[in-house]
Amino acid sequence: MSDDFEPKALAFLCNWCSYAGADLAGVSRFQYPPTIRVLRTMCSGRVEPLYITEGLKSGFDGVFVFG
Amino acid sequence: MYTQKRMRVIDRLLDMSGIDRRRVQLRWVSAAEGQLFANYIKELSEELAGLGPFDASKFSLRLSAIESVLNSPRMRWLIGIDRQVTERGNVYSEKIDSARFEQILQAVCETEYRNALILASLRSGPKTVRELCAATGLEVREVSSRLVDVEKMGAAELHGYVGADPKFIRTAA
Amino acid sequence: MSEKSRIKSSTGAVMVVGGGIAGTQAALDLAGAGFFVYVVESSPTIGGVMAQLDKTFPTNDCSMCILSPKLVECGRHLNIRLMTMSEVAKVEGEAGNFVVSVREKPRFVDAEKCVACGICAEKCPKKVKDAFNEGLGYRKAAYVKYPQAVPLKYLLDEENCIYFKNGKCRACEKFCPTGAIDFNQKEKEHRLEVGAVILAPGFNSFDPAVFDTYGYAKFPNVITSLEFERILSASGPFEGHLARPSDGKEPKKIAWLQCVGSRDSHSCAHSYCSGVCCMYAIKEAVIAKEHTKAPLDTAIFYMDMRTYGKDFERYYDRARQEAGVRFIRSRVHSIEPAAPGSEDLSIQYVDEKGTPRVEVFDLVVLSTGLEVSAQSKALAQKLGIELDSGGFADAASFSPISGSRPGVFVCGAFSGPKDIPSSVMEASAASAASAALLAGARNSLTRSKTYPPEDPSVHAEPRVGVFVCRCGVNIASVVDVPAVRDYARGLPDVAYVAENMFTCSQDTQKLIIEAIKEHRLNRIVVAACTPRTHEPLFQETIREAGLNPYLFEFANIRDQDSWVHQGEPEKATEKAKDLVRMAVAKAAFLEPIEKLQAPLIQSALVIGGGVAGMNTALNLSAQGFKTYLLEKKEQLGGHALEIAKTWKGEDVFAYIEELKAKIAAEPNIEALTSAELVEASGFVGQFRSTVRAQGRERQIEHGAVILATGAEALAPSEYLYGQTDRVTRWHELEKLFGQQPEKLDSARAVAFIQCVGSREPRRPYCSKICCTSTMRQAIELKEKKPDLNVYVLYRDIRTYGQREDLYTRARELGVLFIRYNPDEKPVVSTDGKEKLKIRVVDHVLGRMVELAVDYVNLASALVPEGLGELARFFKVPLNQDGFFLEAHMKLRPVDFATDGVFVAGLAHYPKPLEESIAQAGAAAARASAVLAKPWVEVEPIVSVVDQELCIGCGMCELNCSFGAIRLHEVKGKGYRAETISASCKGCGVCAASCPQKAIDMKHFRDCQILAAIHAGAHGR
Repeated sequence: MSDDFEPKALAFLCNWCSYAGADLAGVSRFQYPPTIRVLRTMCSGRVEPLYITEGLKSGFDGVFVFG
Repeated sequence: MYTQKRMRVIDRLLDMSGIDRRRVQLRWVSAAEGQLFANYIKELSEELAGLGPFDASKFSLRLSAIESVLNSPRMRWLIGIDRQVTERGNVYSEKIDSARFEQILQAVCETEYRNALILASLRSGPKTVRELCAATGLEVREVSSRLVDVEKMGAAELHGYVGADPKFIRTAA
Repeated sequence: MSEKSRIKSSTGAVMVVGGGIAGTQAALDLAGAGFFVYVVESSPTIGGVMAQLDKTFPTNDCSMCILSPKLVECGRHLNIRLMTMSEVAKVEGEAGNFVVSVREKPRFVDAEKCVACGICAEKCPKKVKDAFNEGLGYRKAAYVKYPQAVPLKYLLDEENCIYFKNGKCRACEKFCPTGAIDFNQKEKEHRLEVGAVILAPGFNSFDPAVFDTYGYAKFPNVITSLEFERILSASGPFEGHLARPSDGKEPKKIAWLQCVGSRDSHSCAHSYCSGVCCMYAIKEAVIAKEHTKAPLDTAIFYMDMRTYGKDFERYYDRARQEAGVRFIRSRVHSIEPAAPGSEDLSIQYVDEKGTPRVEVFDLVVLSTGLEVSAQSKALAQKLGIELDSGGFADAASFSPISGSRPGVFVCGAFSGPKDIPSSVMEASAASAASAALLAGARNSLTRSKTYPPEDPSVHAEPRVGVFVCRCGVNIASVVDVPAVRDYARGLPDVAYVAENMFTCSQDTQKLIIEAIKEHRLNRIVVAACTPRTHEPLFQETIREAGLNPYLFEFANIRDQDSWVHQGEPEKATEKAKDLVRMAVAKAAFLEPIEKLQAPLIQSALVIGGGVAGMNTALNLSAQGFKTYLLEKKEQLGGHALEIAKTWKGEDVFAYIEELKAKIAAEPNIEALTSAELVEASGFVGQFRSTVRAQGRERQIEHGAVILATGAEALAPSEYLYGQTDRVTRWHELEKLFGQQPEKLDSARAVAFIQCVGSREPRRPYCSKICCTSTMRQAIELKEKKPDLNVYVLYRDIRTYGQREDLYTRARELGVLFIRYNPDEKPVVSTDGKEKLKIRVVDHVLGRMVELAVDYVNLASALVPEGLGELARFFKVPLNQDGFFLEAHMKLRPVDFATDGVFVAGLAHYPKPLEESIAQAGAAAARASAVLAKPWVEVEPIVSVVDQELCIGCGMCELNCSFGAIRLHEVKGKGYRAETISASCKGCGVCAASCPQKAIDMKHFRDCQILAAIHAGAHGR
């Protein structure tokens, strides 16, 4: 494992909560690493478990679900 | 809350498959918690970096087994019914204690996962019990009893012999 | 009201003054019911005090999260015109036809041009104390009040701007990329015609600097509760880190002092109770503990703990028992530095037994009360609205939202201190009253937009157009926008790519429309700021070009990319490419979605013929809707028939008679007495109920239903109730004295016992109205017979709001108050002779006292009864105490998660008459928003069930929180699930939990999400 390995993760954000929280991080300019690729859903309840395995199968190093 | 229940099942299945469960994470962030969101991403990214790259090709058999489990009506039914029977009670208004439910869930996860693993490895052609052991990493006894299960479901059947060893094949359906 | 509603030439517009939560709610209700609304707000943004709060009690919801969607909706509503930085100068005319003069102050920023990039604030050299953060932080002279502000437009603060002071600077103008700064803007005057005016100017937090004893002006670590909200807030001056102002140190001990400026007879303070401080102090104490890893000691110094609202008592119990918040019943004498030069503070107080004590804290929070501001008082004077002794708009109990001038309505904290749900209820009620007044003018001034027919080419091969936004320098300074643009050109299905300086600007909208036409684009992707604020704008644009609005996808490359990876431009560019690729991949699978319209029966069923039900029915009928009013007893009136007077002394009997007469005369109302609901089915727009009225069954079809079945007074099994006539409950004693005055003549002492059956483990809620009722009865007894000994045995006196005056009056008249502990309840006994004996431990004296009394009146709990069946019929939930559980405790106090079903009155929670009336109005407003349209409009992001895959197991129905999916019988197949689109919220829980994977979500289809996942990973 090299130190400069930069993982890539799939992130599910729900419209009214975490997506808004992520936007607020932007508005406030809170910096974080460019790891995630975001998919917006109406609610974290939409996140079908199979999307998570699909994410791993497709080549993401991890999958984050934000409710 | 449904999300939480589902994620717990994913965790179990990842554990069984040997994929580090830290690769899949659930966090709660409200619309006012910009800082928290940034912190989570930092923290989770570092953790993920520590785990190193994920080589999906090494886990393709196991991932497809997990997928079969998550696709199976039995598993999906169990996940869906969780809150009903543990929080609200079933049609007879009996509540199932959540620890007991967890046990059931764990048992079902295990059998379904192993069945799926066997079926997934049969996809590449008929195999003997020993070959299945090698492909799945399960013990002989486990493979045999799982085979009985999948045979009962009509998902696999006997397909001739290699010497004295029986060979099994996925049924077309 | 019904006569007024028939004024032919009234104006179909309403002005709402004040854009806080109450004003916002009133505006949304009215605009939804077919009226044009002007929202006049004196500050640069709507949102009010609620935007400043961190969390809200009793659910601990993040305040901004629940408020923001309402503000956004209000800001972009076609029939709401926001007039910020504006004040009402004059109101002429009369109800139905007012002409209002509004003065609008200059913003010095052209709102049409401002894209809220924030560069003006960045470049502005002038720092000033930020009032939004209660002076705890700084902002620039060019600023926006807070990041979620609506409208999101910057402004220059004339008082502090350097250019306005000495004629030099203009840095903002130099750097503004859109040329939006305009130093020449002047004050404007508008004359607007409206049919009604709703006043919702809100409150000011009491300024404790007038008190020397609290040292607010002297000690930096003595702060107000609103300052503490900002400290707790993640978007506040300390980013949510618990820190005290003097040295930024994390406090280990925090004290809250209650009733600062309230329940205080000093001339600089207010005699009324502010009604909300007990709850917010508990909330702040609980939340503060969550903010720190180190143990935090929290103590609340109070006189009476007033947790009288729904779920408040439980919140109090949990704070005490689980969070370990200390509650100290006391009187605070003064605050001093703990030692010379120390920033810590010592509180000198007297405990309940009268013992002086001292305790040292790191931080002291003053729970400051609510008061009407000088501006609001001036406004009231301008409009001719009378104020009460506390400075609040005077409103009668029977018309709690009517100002003293016809056609002018009042709501929120302007008409009395109150919490958010009560304000929201009144706001809705005020909108219902306005709608009834102007029913004839409904839809006369509202606008609707027409769009060209949709282009059928969408079903052909996808031709995706991608618009990458530079957002001035906001995106382009980090992300290599040209590189992303070129990259997008090479993606599958992409037919056109453009790069824009500001994709949201007016002229770019034209460019997008032209590009769609010229390049025959049938899917659009915009890579820019965030869909949360801008998706509706672009959806609107593509509709104008003949594309279905759902053929649009957003790639968030600003808020979630350029702004958060400022130091890593290359990686941010890579991320932007990935996000664009994901959006394009999803876009290729997008499909047009038709707006759904479900049929609607424009009538309502009101269940329960008490005050709440009657008022709901009267308002709905005045608005022109056929209403069925169902009452199980032989006559209308409910429990109000038992009550002689309101706490303000108004005659309830006469009021009920008036209501009954109005209902009898109203052709739109069909009142069914001796009636009960046998069965009900259906959903919003199309309910079908079977009613048995006077022995005969009939079917009623209705589009909405209001549940107003009330509550019952508990018949206690303690204190000898039912064993002797001398022990009575509620209004039985006054009735007895009314009928047999000689009994009062011969009586020497009477006792009231409070909290009988309430605030106990079995019923851990406060019945809310008992203290006030007892107080009124005690006062009347004392006034009638001054030498009568009147005792009130209580736990906390909860005469909230202006009801506090009754408590003061009762004490002045010599009513004796004895506090008892629930562990040592009073014991009522009789020796078989005339009198009753009460033994109770007096907690001030600390010893047992014995009272000889002639009568004991019990304030017994109000309990919900028989709501379970209604809950099942209409698929709505009950809370743990058996009352109906509304959709959201704070902001949707009369709605249910299930559409088309509403609640009013005591079935929701115990409440006084005036609050029931307000809630009835609110229920009518919410129901009329459904009924005023020709059909039920449905957000089309709903679930779809594949009838072939479905096996009818019912898992979806079980898991749906909105009653939006159900099993129906299919001939020969058994049961199959079907979506009730009218109720579906599109959350997708059903799809993710369907064992057969037979359910998919429109606009978030499996194939669309999977395509995006694959595309996202593809870059590896």
